[in-house]
Amino acid sequence: MKVKYIVRSFLFMTGLLICLGTASIVVFPKNNTMEFGMRDVNANGILGENDNTIDVLVLGDSESYSSISPMTIWNETGITSYVCGTSAQQLYESMNFLKQALQNQKPKIVILETNAIYRNFSPVKMIENGFNQLFPIFQYHNRWKSILPVDFGGSIEYTWRDDLKGFKYSNKIEGTNAQDYMSKTDKIAEISELNRQYVKEMAKLCEENDAKFILVSTPSTVNWNYARHNGICLLADEYELDYYDLNLLSKEILIDWSQDTRDKGDHLNYYGAFKVSKYLAHFLKEKYALSDHRQEKEYQSWNESYQRYQTIIAQN
Amino acid sequence: MSSYFSIEYLALFLPAVFIFYNLMPKKYRWLLLLLASYLFFWLISGKLILYLISATCIVYIIALHLEKIQSQRNQLLEKKERSERKAIRIFYQKKQRKLVTAGVLILIGILAVLKYSGFIGINIQSIFSLLHLPITIQIPSFVLPIGISFYTLQAVSYLLDVYREKIKPEWNFGKLALYMSFFLTIIEGPICRYSDMSIQLYEGRKVSWNQFLYGMQRILYGLMKKIVIADRLNLFIKTIFHDYNSYDGGMIAFGALLYTCQLYMEFSGTMDIVIGSGEIFSFKILENFRQPFFSKTISEFWQRWHISLGLWFKDYIFYPLSMSDPLKKMTSWARKKFGNHYGPLMSGSIALFCVWLANGFWHGSGWNYIFFGLYHFTLILGGNLIEPVSNRLCSYFKIKRESILYHFFQIVRTGILVVIGELFFRAQGLRAGIHMFIKICTNFSLVSFTDSTVFSIGMDRQDFIIVVIAVMTVFVISIIKEKGLSVREHISKEPIVLRWSLYYMLILFIVVFGAYGTGYVPVDPIYANF
Repeated sequence: MKVKYIVRSFLFMTGLLICLGTASIVVFPKNNTMEFGMRDVNANGILGENDNTIDVLVLGDSESYSSISPMTIWNETGITSYVCGTSAQQLYESMNFLKQALQNQKPKIVILETNAIYRNFSPVKMIENGFNQLFPIFQYHNRWKSILPVDFGGSIEYTWRDDLKGFKYSNKIEGTNAQDYMSKTDKIAEISELNRQYVKEMAKLCEENDAKFILVSTPSTVNWNYARHNGICLLADEYELDYYDLNLLSKEILIDWSQDTRDKGDHLNYYGAFKVSKYLAHFLKEKYALSDHRQEKEYQSWNESYQRYQTIIAQN
Repeated sequence: MSSYFSIEYLALFLPAVFIFYNLMPKKYRWLLLLLASYLFFWLISGKLILYLISATCIVYIIALHLEKIQSQRNQLLEKKERSERKAIRIFYQKKQRKLVTAGVLILIGILAVLKYSGFIGINIQSIFSLLHLPITIQIPSFVLPIGISFYTLQAVSYLLDVYREKIKPEWNFGKLALYMSFFLTIIEGPICRYSDMSIQLYEGRKVSWNQFLYGMQRILYGLMKKIVIADRLNLFIKTIFHDYNSYDGGMIAFGALLYTCQLYMEFSGTMDIVIGSGEIFSFKILENFRQPFFSKTISEFWQRWHISLGLWFKDYIFYPLSMSDPLKKMTSWARKKFGNHYGPLMSGSIALFCVWLANGFWHGSGWNYIFFGLYHFTLILGGNLIEPVSNRLCSYFKIKRESILYHFFQIVRTGILVVIGELFFRAQGLRAGIHMFIKICTNFSLVSFTDSTVFSIGMDRQDFIIVVIAVMTVFVISIIKEKGLSVREHISKEPIVLRWSLYYMLILFIVVFGAYGTGYVPVDPIYANF
């Protein structure tokens, strides 16, 4: 009798998984645009890039897409980079973007902006994320309102490219007086065990894919301090990772906190991002010997994107 | 963990408790349920669990003392002559009454201090302001432990049942603690009696496959009510009730109607999850709803809506008051004076008033809740008062009271009265409720429906279509249940392909059309806040 119930349960669950799988195929966006229901379109713009053309992949929360401008990096050094950063990104989401990017790209460097390491989440969020990854129906179920004929049986084709390559442009200026936010201390800001494990897993995945995994803290008077710096230093030592805290490079990157932030030191604006990206471009090129693609034929779309990027800046 | 609809509960807590329950020897299963219940409470209310433990200790000690007094009395009664027995009974009755009164006052006192001191403070301050007295009092504010209104009523019922010698007190503190904290009934009830729950909780019942399946079906049904209907309606209702000045009477009336629907779907959906979760353990938990919107009168509505609360008020407030000596005397006097209909009604109304005042207070510390209770008291009393007149009118105009049309009229009339009550219940205070009601009466318009404004307040046309489909499903199931048929038994007789297809359709319906994820804020368990 018990065997009968076990077999029935197994068959029922198999049927249910097939139903959820089929529904997931239907609702999953068939292109990486908003019209097709894609979430985080800017970060997912990487799906529209040619295969194996991204040298540097950036992951993280809003600090990442506010501080690093791939087009500035391109113009300075000819290095291709893409920011897969999203608002309040948790490390399990960073891991999703990393895995997704590695399917079509072979980045030489993967940067994790460190503010995300201090974003704690519950194990339940991980379970939810697991369900969402396995069955995108849970994430994209709301698409029932805008389902298209192509969703039934159409193939997935990502055609959209973001000219800003994941960067969020803002020329808004709302300065701050905070200058001494990086005063030295021996205090260490604790990192949750879950986040430590995710950093470890990301480092391992990068190593398996021949990518250098590095940690970078971009300037922010609101989110960063020396205790957090110490915490990341210890983490970097433990997992043997390169760590660069740009908050300490006040001589190299001349951030003017009265002009270079859009929200009182929380995030950089375009002017701050330009300074950070310029420094980062030359630093990465020298430190990790990345090549200049500006004259290469297959990267001409990047030059075109840069022209459009310039237009956007000029218009604003 | 926040509710029975959270991933934590459905995907982790409930399956884990179910697995361990089955792995445990029968003898110790109650212990596992106790640990699970305390963990559940701790995960929601943290250190406020001390309130629950205190209430359990109070009830435990007093109940044992009551039993001690009862056994002393019984021993004496055996020894004494018949003539002396009455005096002994009275003596011990008084002793017991003092003790049980102290117990009830402590339990209700804790609830009152935590729940109403802020409300009382605000009102005292308002009086001082009105009298221009330069006195400022500090208004206290307490964080309430989850389910305090529910476990307090359970505790009181336990004490009073021991006092009335309906049940024997529980000597095992752990077992009593389980009755008080059982994780399935602690958040939103139903308010269970010790006599209904004790054996089920303590005997370590064998789980049956059919019960398990029934339980899972019931949980799914509850999920549909909550996630597809109640949560989808949330944004619309919130907007209307928070910003009622921006809408005409038609929209406010529609908002009140949708809120009534939301409240029913949320509360009865939670009860489906509670009863369904109980069924997978082979527990039979009291039904809290019985198709309330088929009620023909307000009295009937309250026999079908939040049944366990109604029964509690009936058993522990209405009957004791009605049977008290002063009211009995009043009934005999009034019967002679006003006749057989209005005579008993007079004393009954006093008991009824106390019940509805308590009902209003129980629901929350606000004048709108007190109004809500007294509104229903007025409706029930009014119905009783005009009953003879309405009977005469019906026979004069030859209205067939058993006709379908008349029943339909009664159901619609009761529904409208319920919706008006819920408008005050949901309003941001009594003043807002009155303003909203006045707007319905003086500024009623259907313009918002004709110019499609209705589709721009958090719900578009497609959202409404989904809600209508889901509500119609619930409506059809309710009709079948009202006819005394069991939907689940009917389904269980169908061929497996049809049966499973139905289950898959329901699951996919919830997954696809559920209002969850980005852009949605689920409704907090509404009754958990009471």
